[in-house]
Amino acid sequence: MKNILISDPTLRDGNHAVAHQLSAAQVAIYCQAADNALIPIVEVGHGNGLGASSLQVGESLETDVVLLETARKNLSKSKLGIHVIPGFATINRDLKRAIDIGVDVIRVASHCTEADITQRHLGYSRERGKETYGVLMMTHMASPELLVEEAQKMELYGAEGIIIMDSAGAFIPSDVTDRITALVEGLSIPVGFHGHNNLGMGIANSVAAIEAGALMLDGTAKGFGAGAGNAQIEVLVAVLEKMGYTTGIDLYKILDAADIAEQHIMPLVPIIRSESIVSGLSGVFSGFSKHVTRISKEYGVDQRDVYFELGRRKVVAGQEDLIIEVVLDLVKANKNATRTN
Amino acid sequence: MGKWLTEAIVLLNQKHNFNVKLYLLARNISEYREQVPHLANLPFIDLIEQDARNISNLPEDITYIIHAAGSPDSRKHISNPLKTIDIIYRGTHALLDACLRLPNLKKFVHISSNYVYGHQNDRTTNIKETEIGTADPNSVNAAYSEAKRMAETVCAVYRNQQKLPIVIVRPFAFIGPYQELEKPWAINNFIRDSILGGPIRILGNENTVRGYMYGSDMAFWLLKALAQGKTGAIYNVGSDQAITLKALSTKITLNFNNKIDVLVKSSKTYPLSPVVSVADTIHIRTDLQVKQIFDLESALKRTIDWYKQAEQPNY
Repeated sequence: MKNILISDPTLRDGNHAVAHQLSAAQVAIYCQAADNALIPIVEVGHGNGLGASSLQVGESLETDVVLLETARKNLSKSKLGIHVIPGFATINRDLKRAIDIGVDVIRVASHCTEADITQRHLGYSRERGKETYGVLMMTHMASPELLVEEAQKMELYGAEGIIIMDSAGAFIPSDVTDRITALVEGLSIPVGFHGHNNLGMGIANSVAAIEAGALMLDGTAKGFGAGAGNAQIEVLVAVLEKMGYTTGIDLYKILDAADIAEQHIMPLVPIIRSESIVSGLSGVFSGFSKHVTRISKEYGVDQRDVYFELGRRKVVAGQEDLIIEVVLDLVKANKNATRTN
Repeated sequence: MGKWLTEAIVLLNQKHNFNVKLYLLARNISEYREQVPHLANLPFIDLIEQDARNISNLPEDITYIIHAAGSPDSRKHISNPLKTIDIIYRGTHALLDACLRLPNLKKFVHISSNYVYGHQNDRTTNIKETEIGTADPNSVNAAYSEAKRMAETVCAVYRNQQKLPIVIVRPFAFIGPYQELEKPWAINNFIRDSILGGPIRILGNENTVRGYMYGSDMAFWLLKALAQGKTGAIYNVGSDQAITLKALSTKITLNFNNKIDVLVKSSKTYPLSPVVSVADTIHIRTDLQVKQIFDLESALKRTIDWYKQAEQPNY
């Protein structure tokens, strides 16, 4: 029976859903529940990962140190993971400290066409003996062939596995099948998938990934995550069991953990809102949703127009400052249209 | 490779009065001085800081050259593929051009690579010098192997048209002191993982077969090729003692007192038949009467002991 390695970024991706305001107490509560459920890897941190708290992408309620130390204290069976984007996270300031706190798993991420920037972080993590993965984000923006080339770089840099993220929730299952098949063929190391639910495909895409040969999946409690949320971990575990895969996760306890998460850490259970569908269709990073909603409202423009324009400009995570530029352009265009009429 | 060769020359000079004068050319001499001050400060070693691509004149008393410019680190190849090609092609071209102005050049050894053998699909025997496999040049991964192939062609041109006394060697895999454990090769990573307490991670096919030669054997074989190699000859340099990555990891764990787990991480299920990338060394053994002094067990023990004693700051 094939085992699937499950990572749970509820306390990292979910931080996007609350503008990075998860508290230490909430982290402690969910970590205990996740640990009881025997989730293999629990990822914790700011939504954009280690060192990302900033005015540009949003300031965290808690520092990285508080988040990681709290998680470390409350995880004994599950491994503690972090999401690391070079540029946000530096080796000397952030990564060393995180490892000293006791992080077990380090996932170094880049935009899907920028794997070159991950070399030093992947290398450092391996040098320190940590379980190390490469993550390619926004993978709807690259062809399967290009993804393989970028993933091969990460493999050479020392990654023990490659996870591709559908950061915009833009994929349908055939997109996932094409990409995972190419990666499994082109790499020696295991491949994984991280799905978002903008088009309601979180679980279906994860299943497509497994059927194409992926060995790792991400899922969050009740789908708590950016935009329309992620593949729901409790559903994922149940579906995988039904399909004959093992995860090592206790079904009853993951169901309990999801309920605890709903009760204690999420103001609202994620639903697929209209803007999330548009975000998925236009291929815009799910982490943009709160910013787009706020700025569109402030300037009185239709946020669906904002998403399509951001998608046309092919913006990526970290370019949140472009949202205001797009909104102002739309305001200007609307004014001109009014004058013409 | 450069440090092992230098250590061998030092031994020949200090123990056997060979009286060799050594010019060492590198792009970053201060780094070399920092890493190996006991070599850099020796009176018979002259350090020259220069990029191989910009060489025009060499000291006229040079009689033998080993051209090893270009890193075999695959991370550099994939991050800087054009620079990789440039250093190998233009470096070889410039150096051979400079050799035309040397009045007493007796031999030039070009260090190529086993990568020139390309894909050796379904191979179950060791690779002979004549067995060039297929290659896909339309890939960013091909930068190093294709550049090395081109550099061999450049050597062939200078040998044929300018009658330079060129010998080509194709190195395989080595192990020994001075190799940085973070380099992206299985044996280095297995040793590093073990020093850190494990687990060892085998990434990909555990049945992949390699051969590992100890650094001093490699240095001696290269010097033999320099002194006695036949102009126009191509020699494999490496161990023909084949071992799977799985068996290698087990052998490494035997050098440590603590229990070290071995994990296999791969994207797919591989066939049980091994994928062989091991040198056939009959040609060099016959031509130059060389043999391997250190078997894999003693090479591993010496290497691991060196790392344990060296207290490498990074590990």
